[in-house]
Amino acid sequence: MGKRISYVVAVLLLFLWGSCRDPFEPEVTNADISLLVVEGYIETNGEESTIYISKTNPIRSGSATLPVIDASVFLISSTGEEWSFSETDSGTYSYTGFFDIQDTYQLGINLTNGKQYLSEPMKPIVTPEINELNFLRDEAGVEIFISTKGTDEAQYFLWDYEEHWIFRPGVISFLKFENGAVSKREPDERIDLCWSSNIFPKIILQNSARFADNTIIQRELVRIPNESEKLTQRYSIKVRQRAIDQATYDFWEILRKNSDDIGGIFSPLPSLIGGNIKAISPETDNAIGYVSIGQSASQRIYIDYEDVQPWRIFIPEYEFCFVLADTIPPNEAVTAFNNIDRVPAREVFDGMFFLGYRAATKKCTDCTLRGTNRAPGFWED
Amino acid sequence: MNRLIILLVFFGICFIPKSWAQETIRAEERISGLFPGLSFLRFAQQVESQTSYKFYFSPVDVADLIVNISAKDNTIRQVLDGVFDGKDLKYSIDEKNRIFISKGKALDTSLPLDFFTQVSELEKDSILRQSDIDRAFSRNKLYVIGKAENSGKTEAVLRGKVTGLETGNPVFGAVIFEKVNYTRAIANQDGQFEIKLPIGRHTIFIQNLGGFVEQRQISLQGDGVLDVAIEENIISLSEVTISSEKMTNISRPEMGVQKLNMETMKQIPAILGEVDIIRSILTLPGVQTVGEASVGFNVRGGAADQNLILFNHATIYNPSHLFGLFSAFNPDLVESVDLYKAGIPVQYGGRLSSVLDVHAKYGNDEKITVRGGIGLLTGRISVEGPVGEKTTFALGARSTYSDWLLDILEENTDFKDGRANFYDLNLNVSHKLNDKNIIRLNTYGSNDSFGFDRDTTFMYQNRSINLGWTHYFSDRLEGEFVAGRDHYQFEIEGRDNPANGYNFGFGIKQDFFKANFSYEYDLRHTFTFGLNTIRYGLNPGFIQPAGPESIVIPEEVNPEQAIETSIYIGDNFEVTDEFSLNFGMRYAIFNYLGPNTVREYKPGLPISPPNLVGETTFNNGQSIKTYSGPEFRISARYSLNNISSIKAGYNTNRQFIHLLTNNAAIAPTDIWKLSDPNIRPQWGDQVSIGYYRNIKVDKYEFSVEAYHRNMRNLIDFRSGATLILNNAIEQSVLRTDGRAYGAEFLLRKNTGKLNGWISYTYSRSLLRTAQDEMAEKINGGEWYPNNFDQPHNAVLVGNYALSKRFSTSINANYSTGRPITLPVAKFNYGGSERVYFSDRNAYRIPDYFRIDFSINIEGNHKVRKLAHSSWSIGVYNLLGRRNPYSVYFTPVNGILQGYQLSIFAEPIPFITYNFRI
Repeated sequence: MGKRISYVVAVLLLFLWGSCRDPFEPEVTNADISLLVVEGYIETNGEESTIYISKTNPIRSGSATLPVIDASVFLISSTGEEWSFSETDSGTYSYTGFFDIQDTYQLGINLTNGKQYLSEPMKPIVTPEINELNFLRDEAGVEIFISTKGTDEAQYFLWDYEEHWIFRPGVISFLKFENGAVSKREPDERIDLCWSSNIFPKIILQNSARFADNTIIQRELVRIPNESEKLTQRYSIKVRQRAIDQATYDFWEILRKNSDDIGGIFSPLPSLIGGNIKAISPETDNAIGYVSIGQSASQRIYIDYEDVQPWRIFIPEYEFCFVLADTIPPNEAVTAFNNIDRVPAREVFDGMFFLGYRAATKKCTDCTLRGTNRAPGFWED
Repeated sequence: MNRLIILLVFFGICFIPKSWAQETIRAEERISGLFPGLSFLRFAQQVESQTSYKFYFSPVDVADLIVNISAKDNTIRQVLDGVFDGKDLKYSIDEKNRIFISKGKALDTSLPLDFFTQVSELEKDSILRQSDIDRAFSRNKLYVIGKAENSGKTEAVLRGKVTGLETGNPVFGAVIFEKVNYTRAIANQDGQFEIKLPIGRHTIFIQNLGGFVEQRQISLQGDGVLDVAIEENIISLSEVTISSEKMTNISRPEMGVQKLNMETMKQIPAILGEVDIIRSILTLPGVQTVGEASVGFNVRGGAADQNLILFNHATIYNPSHLFGLFSAFNPDLVESVDLYKAGIPVQYGGRLSSVLDVHAKYGNDEKITVRGGIGLLTGRISVEGPVGEKTTFALGARSTYSDWLLDILEENTDFKDGRANFYDLNLNVSHKLNDKNIIRLNTYGSNDSFGFDRDTTFMYQNRSINLGWTHYFSDRLEGEFVAGRDHYQFEIEGRDNPANGYNFGFGIKQDFFKANFSYEYDLRHTFTFGLNTIRYGLNPGFIQPAGPESIVIPEEVNPEQAIETSIYIGDNFEVTDEFSLNFGMRYAIFNYLGPNTVREYKPGLPISPPNLVGETTFNNGQSIKTYSGPEFRISARYSLNNISSIKAGYNTNRQFIHLLTNNAAIAPTDIWKLSDPNIRPQWGDQVSIGYYRNIKVDKYEFSVEAYHRNMRNLIDFRSGATLILNNAIEQSVLRTDGRAYGAEFLLRKNTGKLNGWISYTYSRSLLRTAQDEMAEKINGGEWYPNNFDQPHNAVLVGNYALSKRFSTSINANYSTGRPITLPVAKFNYGGSERVYFSDRNAYRIPDYFRIDFSINIEGNHKVRKLAHSSWSIGVYNLLGRRNPYSVYFTPVNGILQGYQLSIFAEPIPFITYNFRI
């Protein structure tokens, strides 16, 4: 709530008084402090558990992430039982199995350079089920909300989500120019319908203790603004709900404040970030990150255009897309389309008589430039 | 001889100021005898033989002069006047009775006073000023006349001579009188007078007919002499500027005091056209702010909650409207403002850094006056004047009508239901019961309410009322008793959806009583003493469900109660005319009272949940914890001469109420917290030293002050601290030490068409996690800069009066960018790029620079018109410089971007119409 207060205050000032936000690159150090970063959630009920291990980059560094490879990652129970994770992708370590939710566990990490880390003991928390994941159409767009009910053991909630949606390019074309000739696209070559996704979403946190019976009703997760392409045809969101302990909640809250809530007029000052992964080898800094263990709950919903119509769509990338007026005779197709920019968009007929093609830009016709024309594996029509 | 004459002429013309060129009046030798038909040479010889006079002349000049004169007990002047009657010869007589005869023009025989002692410009200034001051002083100075004899005489004779101030001539016919028994005497031809008065104190009035009345305070102890110089000129009516405060900078013993009157504040270009007290004091050296549109101000490296803001005795907890865009004081009702940065008088206490004492009007006693102003966003109106003979009042109201602005914005923004309102009301009444008793009533209320969407409404309000009684026990003892209540609260109404509807709130209520006495013991000692007590009642936060469907659980942080009592005594001791000392002590006792539940932690370990030992519950009124201790206030002034002085001071302060704010700027939703067993009172001291000098007869005023402060038990916050609705706030804070030091330079021009001031401040403000704080060490326990540590700060305030009706003002402001914590590393977490922050406040935002400009136009000066009006037109941030408020990194689509946020990024024009009926 404090966050919301400062947000609205900042926003009002922003609009009222001609304040503005300009891009700015302050002088900061380029020294590489290279701290270990550990992220992960260990699933107790047979779903895949994944631990991501990386290192920090200097703030100016161009590369986004520095995965830590060939580390030895393992989980130990309080009784000394040990499970080893295997590296499935660089810096990604996985294990699939069942763990006793009554026990406590520690995650161990040994790096190839000899540095060793061990987490504080973690107690599994079973996440209550999602009661409702639904949406509401209002004048500002569509709000997707969640309702759940916490318990005395599971009061702090963390949600993350993945969004996928169908969109269409500015100009629909079923044609292609290939091997010096224009031809019809096969169904698996279509570029007029694509899926886009948002898998870098915000973290949403909520403490249910503030509400009667730990009940969270209609907590807003995502807002789809009016004119968004997300509701062109069909949209899907999968929400993962995790109950976490207070320390983990505080960690995520700091993380969120430090990145989302910074720089405003009444924004809190940045906080130091820590974690529950402690260094055990000498001369090693503690790692950043909070790993927790438990059983998550997930749910997926679909929203169709019909559910929210009328829904006008505006895609800035396609704002100036149109089919060019000139008709290109078939004999000039090679010269017209043998480049990376111009593509055939329409066949032009005069009655039964084929005149040639009208062209459009590739940017306007090819949706695969902004997405994929393969439906995601889970997708249901 | 001739060379001497030439020299004398030269000096006479070039260097002798007119006022010193008068001839010395002295007892002259008398001449008797007959001088029939003598040559002048012979005449001279005869006179020389008879008297001590010596003649100097050119024989050519007197060649054809025959003296034919008879003298009997005549003065030389009378004789010479006779001799030279009708001749083109002049004479002059010097101190050594040498008579110089010259043709056409008399020789000036006196040397300039500084002929042998070259007087520096500075001393000249001092002398000039001294004559000015002397006159003012001699009116009120007590002259002790005569020797006290124990002969039982009840009356004594006062003799003296009345002379003209400019000419030095005796004033014939001047009336000397005293008003108790109406004894009077009249000066004779020589200006001599003689008056018989009872032994004791008198005020003597001396009046020349049609001239000024001069006065003298005398303590007649026996026969004696009092010579008086009075103004001879006829009084002509002209504008009178009373400048009693000019000298105070040099002569008052306290230091670090800044006074601003309304006239000065009106000349500072105000944002949005309204005179703003908080913004005005920000132009003074040593006063800074973290950024525009912030509620608080920082004095000498102290936090914003360390300022005690008083508005006619009422403590104002939130001195702003609309998050700091306007200050909470209606400018039409403010008389003057005192800001104490160092020499905090002993009657004030409870805050570490400063006291801002805002004096409101009680209304004039002549006629009802209506004032008002209309600006782009606000309007105000006030009425003041007498009710009957003994009562005066001042009533004021101010409000905003900024909704229209939000309406315009609507089309471009999401603020469909945005609204922002505020108002404030004042009523001050003063009633004179009789000569010895005055009763004053002060009331103040302010209210802010704003919302940005239909879901959430914020409001906060100040409410204050107090009643004061001033009683003059005797000529020397004055007492003031004030009792009142101050109330501050804020509330947030959340109506996001029916299930989550809530009201969140916070409130402070304080009842206070003050008894202040001032006792003039004798000429050298003035004592102040008294007692202040405040009973605090805090509601540190509550949340309640709103509406029947809401499932929000009501929650309330335990209310807090405390009593803060202090007694004080101070002495303003004028040791000598040059050296004065102001010293005092204040003893503060703070009782934290039940009902409440307090937590105990293992001593020596971090205050955090694992070290919680237990909880103790206290009943209503039970004393939970008592803190007490002395505070010292010492300052001394030594006058080097009457235009310069040096001062030094030391003071200590204690503070029992703390603002919990984890932002750089104070937000309207920050809460206050009382000291409790786990949160110790803040303590601070300050050593300061200063040099003050007035130049060119007070035209310029220069001062430099340097200070060093230590502070203990300040509050900083642990990582991820939760401040709202937290019952165990001690688990979120870090005890912190503070240190601040700096030097302030101020050059001020008080008079003339061009006036204003320029100031430069070098200051540092540093913090360090307390050595024995175990929970967390910010920056590894090293010193780090405070959020408002801005080492270099320069301000220029200039006003130029083009005419009586047009004046322009400019305000330029430069300061080092404030410190900021920037990230040093980034990493991927939770699907987004995140930042890792390093040392607290290790970087700075770019420097701040802003120029404001305004023009004030007074209405015409016709006598008959409806209202006196004036316009104020100007531009805030004339250069449109995008001064960053903050610099930060935030992920945009998962990728970090650096940004700077500016608040007033464009020039902001304003216009205000003010009127007075």
